[in-house]
Amino acid sequence: MLTYTVLYLLTLLFKAVLSLWISSLENKLKFMSSTNGYVVIGLLGPTLDSGKGAERWERWRPTVALCRHENFLIKRLELLYQEKFKSLLEILVEDIKMISPETQVKTNVIDFEDPWDFEQVYGSLHDFARKYEFKTDKEDYLIHITTGTHVAQICMFLLTESHYFPAKLIQTSPPSKFHTEDPGNFTIIDLDLSKYDRIASRFNLEQVESISFLKSGIETKNRQFNRLIERIEQVAISSKAPILLMGPTGAGKSNLAKRIYELRRSKHLLEGRFVDINCATIRGDAAMSALFGHVKGSFTGAVQSRPGLLRAADGGLLFLDEIGELGLDEQAMLLRALEEKVFMPMGADTEVSSDFQLIAGTNRDLALQVREGKFREDLLARINLWTFRLPGLKDRLEDVEPNLNYELEKSAQHMGKHITISKEAREKFLRFAVSSEAVWSGNFRDLNAAVIRMATLALGGRISVEVVEEEIERLRAAWHDPKEQAAYSDRDAELLLESLIGFDAAAELDRFDRVQLLDVLQVCKQSNSLSEAGRTLFASSRGQKKNINDADRLRKYLARFSIRWQQIKGEEE
Amino acid sequence: MLTIDGSFGEGGGQILRTALGLSLITGTPFKIEKIRAKRSKPGLMRQHLTAVNAAAKVGAADVEGAAIGSQTLIFTPQNLLPGEYSFAVATAGSATLVLQTVLPALLSASASSKLTLEGGTHNPFAPPFDFLAKSFLPLINRMGPKITASLIRPGFYPAGGGRFVVEIEPVKSLSGFDLLQRGEIIAKRAKAMVASLPTIIAEKELKVIAHKMSWDSSCLHIEKIANSAGPGNIVTIELESENICEVFTGFGERGVKSEDVAEQVVKMARRYLVSGVPVGEYLTDQLLVPLAIAGEGSFVSIGLSRHSTTNIEIIKKFLGVTFAISQLEKSGWLIEIKK
Repeated sequence: MLTYTVLYLLTLLFKAVLSLWISSLENKLKFMSSTNGYVVIGLLGPTLDSGKGAERWERWRPTVALCRHENFLIKRLELLYQEKFKSLLEILVEDIKMISPETQVKTNVIDFEDPWDFEQVYGSLHDFARKYEFKTDKEDYLIHITTGTHVAQICMFLLTESHYFPAKLIQTSPPSKFHTEDPGNFTIIDLDLSKYDRIASRFNLEQVESISFLKSGIETKNRQFNRLIERIEQVAISSKAPILLMGPTGAGKSNLAKRIYELRRSKHLLEGRFVDINCATIRGDAAMSALFGHVKGSFTGAVQSRPGLLRAADGGLLFLDEIGELGLDEQAMLLRALEEKVFMPMGADTEVSSDFQLIAGTNRDLALQVREGKFREDLLARINLWTFRLPGLKDRLEDVEPNLNYELEKSAQHMGKHITISKEAREKFLRFAVSSEAVWSGNFRDLNAAVIRMATLALGGRISVEVVEEEIERLRAAWHDPKEQAAYSDRDAELLLESLIGFDAAAELDRFDRVQLLDVLQVCKQSNSLSEAGRTLFASSRGQKKNINDADRLRKYLARFSIRWQQIKGEEE
Repeated sequence: MLTIDGSFGEGGGQILRTALGLSLITGTPFKIEKIRAKRSKPGLMRQHLTAVNAAAKVGAADVEGAAIGSQTLIFTPQNLLPGEYSFAVATAGSATLVLQTVLPALLSASASSKLTLEGGTHNPFAPPFDFLAKSFLPLINRMGPKITASLIRPGFYPAGGGRFVVEIEPVKSLSGFDLLQRGEIIAKRAKAMVASLPTIIAEKELKVIAHKMSWDSSCLHIEKIANSAGPGNIVTIELESENICEVFTGFGERGVKSEDVAEQVVKMARRYLVSGVPVGEYLTDQLLVPLAIAGEGSFVSIGLSRHSTTNIEIIKKFLGVTFAISQLEKSGWLIEIKK
């Protein structure tokens, strides 16, 4: 089954590549001359070359037509045929002798029972190629690939490409339907020449597109980062092995994992879902259950059975962020799931299977954790075949501007209005962003949040110098106020969010909403009342409103995510 | 060494063939450049290469540049060798054009020759066998040699596979002739040949000819070819006069109505009849070289094609002859050749 799929894909590729070559070469070859003389090796085509009686001359028969070109002389034709087509062979040989007296025709029996059996056909052609005495200094060889089954054509192609046939390819095509008795066209294709630059450039273009896709279309300038993404692109489309993304929080691991997933899906390398989870948000039974599922009643609170994230990712991609936070039990289970594609849900007595691709993210030095006994060495060995270190924003200052543009555009899309930034405001923001003052401890997540805030506060969709100044103050405060930093780190905010709405729902949030919601939750957590939080959150716009009801606006906003004030403050239950 | 511009005049294979023929006869080596330079596929094609190789054999010649696509050829004949030869033309190309290349030299060679020619015998853009046998060769025989040509089997495009044998008894030197009057028409004949094709095609063609020429059925002949390699159809009109026989040929083609094929031949025959002159356009082309070799002769022609005017220029390079061409009052052109 697999063989046929591969074969089918090969056929498609082969045809595409060939037609491209041909279109690039046609009309360039007005005549062909070889000082040594051409020797053509080709298969007798039981279908295309067939024909008895006088009317066969009114049909295009590729092997005969090949010998009929006024501008192309074949010194010798090595015709490969299956024994059962001997009578057709005889007609063909006679016709070629008559139509091309200069050509010596040699016939070679080739024994494959089934011309659609890749192995047989390849095997017998390979044997022929190995036994044939090529005299490349005296003769120029051409492999005729128009006749024979697709399988045979592919085999001839492969054997030529791999130099078992030290030859060029020759492809023939029929004449126009009004002159079916004419010999048609032929094209000689040299696989060794740079003539397939156009194909190469097409592949390059595709690669450029993939790389750009991985970068979310952001024209990043940091050379190190760009090289990294190129490498990731290569790995992403050519390997299904686990990938380990290292980097500080907010460096874009999660976003990149999602992009790798989408790239693979667009190339049909996987069909299943993208499932992601931050391992820092799950502990104990909840972690086991979240990842591997459980059956009803397997532990306190397991009211319903649950399939778990590994099964949800069957046929797809699982992104485990902060994998270093995973408990040792979960690590053992995960390793088995990776190696054998089976695992045991909590409380179940039979194993279930899931075939998923894995990307792991971490901010920690996992090798150190291994030494400290916190991370399994064998699991690390399994997941760090491909390790990529994503630099933080501080190490990619030249990418602040392209990311700023990208975030502005994205905000505009989300808010459904055009967002611009005045030249002065932009310069001010960028000056601050690349200064030593800007810590960017949350990396691109900070930048993303800053832009969303500025876009939200932009009057008439235009971000002014004032808005930028205000944002700079906000960032300074967040990074430099040790109390605030201590009180609220990114991870804590995320933990709070996931505890409020559940990690599934949190995982499904758009980044846009996520950042906003995290900031809102942060304010709520630090405020004593709903009204106080409302006042802080709507500080700018409240002055312009007649009826001030910040608390209500905040309540409604939180309700969109099914969050109540009391939950945030831990006053419920 | 003579240098010839192959792209001159008609600019095709004819220049090469004429040069080869005259080089064999005079022993003059030549270099031809820009062979078929202005054609879509420039340089030597296989049929030209066959002609070059045939000439090289007959003249024991040294050849440089004989390759497909080559636009320069140097031909140095050493010794004219009459004898038995067999030449095969690929891709159903015209075998009569190969004959045309080597024949002039063999007409006055030291011994007789027998040529077997294979390929196409009835090709458009080349003298068909019937024209050679009935029109051209009898005139050559009038110049002294004895030539017989017999068709073993016809060869048509695209299969080819035709064969004919030409036997040549040479003379010491050719004598020219004057052919200024046609004389009375003494016989007329229309022949439709079909090979591996329905007879109705031939019948339709002859019907058109009978009607347009007002000929009775005794002039009409159908020839069914059983031994040809592939399908083919031609229709010829032969007009035999007291002093000359002219043959006009129409070629059946896929997608062309038989009636139209016949109409074409009728048109050529009528034009010839109306003009009243003895020599038609194609025959004019063929007579220039032998008469120039003879060094004397004259004839009245219906007109000179571009082939003919190009040929005259090549002939003048090899042979010390002069041509005088003058338009006649009534119709036709008088062509006179002198040393």
